[in-house]
Amino acid sequence: MVPEGQSFVTSSPLQFIPWMSFSPGLGSPFPWLRELKSEERGLYLIHLLVSCANHVAAGSLENANIGLEQISHLASTDGDTMQRIAAYFNEALAYRMLKAWPGLYKALNSTKISLVSEEIHVQKLFFELCPFLKLAYVITNQAIVEAMEGEKMVHIIDFNCFEPAQWINLFQTFNARPEGPPHLRITGLHEQKEVLDHMARRLTEEAQKWDIPFQFNPVVCKLENLDLESLRVKTGEALAVSSVLQLHSLLVTDDEMHKWKVNSPSMSKTDRSHRVLQMNQRTLGEWLKKEPVHAYSPSSDLASPSPLSPLSLAPAPKMGSFLTALRALSPKLIVITEQESNNSGSTLMERVMEALNFYAALFDCLESTVSRAPLERKKVEKMLFGEEIKNIIACEGVERKERHEKLEKWILRLELAGFGRVPLSYHGMLQAGRLLQTNNYDGYKIKEENGCLVICWQERPLYSISAWRFRPYD
Amino acid sequence: MSGEAFSLPAASIGGFIQDPSNANPNPKPNANPAKKKRNLPGTPDPDAEVIALSPKTLMATNRFICEICKKGFQRDQNLQLHRRGHNLPWKLRQRTNKEVRKKVYICPEKTCVHHDPSRALGDLTGIKKHFSRKHGEKKWKCEKCSKKYAVQSDWKAHSKTCGTREYKCDCGTLFSRKDSFITHRAFCDALAEESARLTSVAATSLNFRNDTVNLPHGFAGRGVQDVAGIPQFGSGFPQDFSGMPAPGLPEMVQMAPANLFGSSSHFPGFENGGATSSNSNNLSLSQLPQGLKEEGRNEGNLMESLSSLYSDNQNKQSKANASPMSATALLQKAAQMGSTRSNPSFFGNSFGVMSSSSSHTAPTFMASSSASMSATSNKLDKLMLQTGGKPSEPSLLSMHHPGSNTFAQSLTRDFLGMSNDQSPRPFLPQELAKYAAIGSTMGLSQFTSSNH
Repeated sequence: MVPEGQSFVTSSPLQFIPWMSFSPGLGSPFPWLRELKSEERGLYLIHLLVSCANHVAAGSLENANIGLEQISHLASTDGDTMQRIAAYFNEALAYRMLKAWPGLYKALNSTKISLVSEEIHVQKLFFELCPFLKLAYVITNQAIVEAMEGEKMVHIIDFNCFEPAQWINLFQTFNARPEGPPHLRITGLHEQKEVLDHMARRLTEEAQKWDIPFQFNPVVCKLENLDLESLRVKTGEALAVSSVLQLHSLLVTDDEMHKWKVNSPSMSKTDRSHRVLQMNQRTLGEWLKKEPVHAYSPSSDLASPSPLSPLSLAPAPKMGSFLTALRALSPKLIVITEQESNNSGSTLMERVMEALNFYAALFDCLESTVSRAPLERKKVEKMLFGEEIKNIIACEGVERKERHEKLEKWILRLELAGFGRVPLSYHGMLQAGRLLQTNNYDGYKIKEENGCLVICWQERPLYSISAWRFRPYD
Repeated sequence: MSGEAFSLPAASIGGFIQDPSNANPNPKPNANPAKKKRNLPGTPDPDAEVIALSPKTLMATNRFICEICKKGFQRDQNLQLHRRGHNLPWKLRQRTNKEVRKKVYICPEKTCVHHDPSRALGDLTGIKKHFSRKHGEKKWKCEKCSKKYAVQSDWKAHSKTCGTREYKCDCGTLFSRKDSFITHRAFCDALAEESARLTSVAATSLNFRNDTVNLPHGFAGRGVQDVAGIPQFGSGFPQDFSGMPAPGLPEMVQMAPANLFGSSSHFPGFENGGATSSNSNNLSLSQLPQGLKEEGRNEGNLMESLSSLYSDNQNKQSKANASPMSATALLQKAAQMGSTRSNPSFFGNSFGVMSSSSSHTAPTFMASSSASMSATSNKLDKLMLQTGGKPSEPSLLSMHHPGSNTFAQSLTRDFLGMSNDQSPRPFLPQELAKYAAIGSTMGLSQFTSSNH
């Protein structure tokens, strides 16, 4: 069975492999696995993950099952970084496979108790442990203060209002304005009413301290179900919007439907523009004025497994209509913070690879920043990152909310939607840098790209922040 | 400019003086030297007059200002001559013919050694330069080597010699001084020998044992039998390696629970209600670039040390005994391995080329730009596609299961060319052998060592 006559200088190792003589069952951990050093194990895990994902993508569940098994022998939520990443990716792949049996999936998920307080706690942990949110808030506030210079009535809409510190910070800055603080209204969005109640209390209390005429409006809803009327934007007030890691959920689209549409054969320009109309609901005239032809390339990335061409945007009808409605409010400033990753590619392998790279950096970052609070780190890893990974890998269509896109795509989307760029000031970058320095955050960097800021961990860009304003069609 | 100079007799300060009398200056040992002898720096004449100038006065360049046109002069004499032009009364001070008391100066910086009168410096220019050098900002930068200086004359002197005379060691390090060069060579020679010897060893072993040699297990084995010089690097490396990612852990943990953001006192740029935001601009402007540059410099140093390590030990993966690699590094490595392999067997061949490609991957090791990240993800894509294109791969992987049934099954399957195979497998025997080789090194190190 075993070929021989291989030219090895060493005596043929084949006869030393007691593969045949070992016969523990498939379930027991193999002794040689334990001897793997961390690096080899990590590399092996990567290989296993990739091949398992391949199987899952190809639908060969048997092989995928073997892969999952092997990974679970090596992965662990308490091990080193790669082991933990592998554990969560493994879980996500398993969930994806489970969906092939919808009954199983539903039965297993039906008794889950999602503790709202835990979710809120984890969000707070992420805020406290990593500097990303703090940096985003600092930069956002700086942009707001600069844009609202001279304004007397300011209305801020916060798409995910859960951290009072974000706005208390703004109170302080506004209070110190030479012309005095403006009349400030904050409309906070969140899914949990308790969070908004807490925000209301804290912010009103702080605003009194800082002597700022203040009003807080809570809006309990999901971003995608937001009715912009409920924001009650008044004429005459300067509107600012802060969207931190929220906007990408509007990129959800029913992939199946669009896949089918895109594969239609003839692609004349009018066809394309029609398709664009259907998908993005903007005026034809405006679309033809620009030249976004390159943006909707006929060889859409939806069907083919080739890497996404940089300038082709996946269609996202919800985003289109939302941005249009938002633009109709003539906002003076919109600050968007998003993950700098490309997860909206619709083939599983693309998403897996991209997610591996992105979350590897995030896990490394978390490990290095918080290595002494393992329980908290585990919570953030499991409940925040793990859930995101699960969503990216296991879900499809409208369920897949975590559709991250890179800065260049956001820029394209927003420009097409009729927003103009507001370059983020150097002062904001300085403040962010100071935050990093004073709190001894090492390894983080803030890069400036075209007026937008990118927060990097060890040269890997993780989050991008860009600012926009209403731009009249010319 | 108010000269906040005050002079005190050195005698009343410091108390090291034996004879406190000022009226009768002690005769110096060599009373009338032909040439003025120079004291050791910081050992002033005991009965010299100690002058303490404020930093402002010390750094002032033009202390004498003309009232009419506000032009500044360094010397009073020059100012007087200038006043002649304005038809102002001028008077050139004559050198006093009384006995001039020698003046010595102390450094205004309290923490400085020369703040003590017993270590005062004898020359005004000297104290000025000292103050700039030690306690001043380095404004002058050499273009060639980016060394910074606070005093212009130092900078000029340096730029004259920078790059002119250099000693270069075999290992590539440059020295401007002969003594440091020689010291280095003493160590370096040893290392050079080692690397020479080892390269020859490694070369032979590479030829014969493609796959068994370069696994970390193999490295550990070889590392032991090899020279003392290597563990030096091996131990040096983990420090560098973990230097970047996890430097200030204790501090980091401290700030975790604190509500940094909320408490106004801690929050940068928003302290004092942001009233000082414009002022803090200026502060942060000078602070931040240094901070950012330092990060860059740290990374630069890290990279330099990394690349020198790799160039020294081309085949040494001595970080096998280092702290665990970060996940991003592992991913990059996997991508490199995947892209450099010539035939699809993952572990077999790629470990063999791992060492030779390692020296290439070194520069991209820690600091990968987003370009290279996308490159690696492309490579990983390739990896993925290649593995995807050969779905029998995992069946080969499952060979790692000692479960004999699976092994037999997969072997059978592959021999017969059945299953979801799209391409013929002409190199199966090679792969089998390679996997066998891996198995031997991975799990059965006793066999590996016996093979050496």
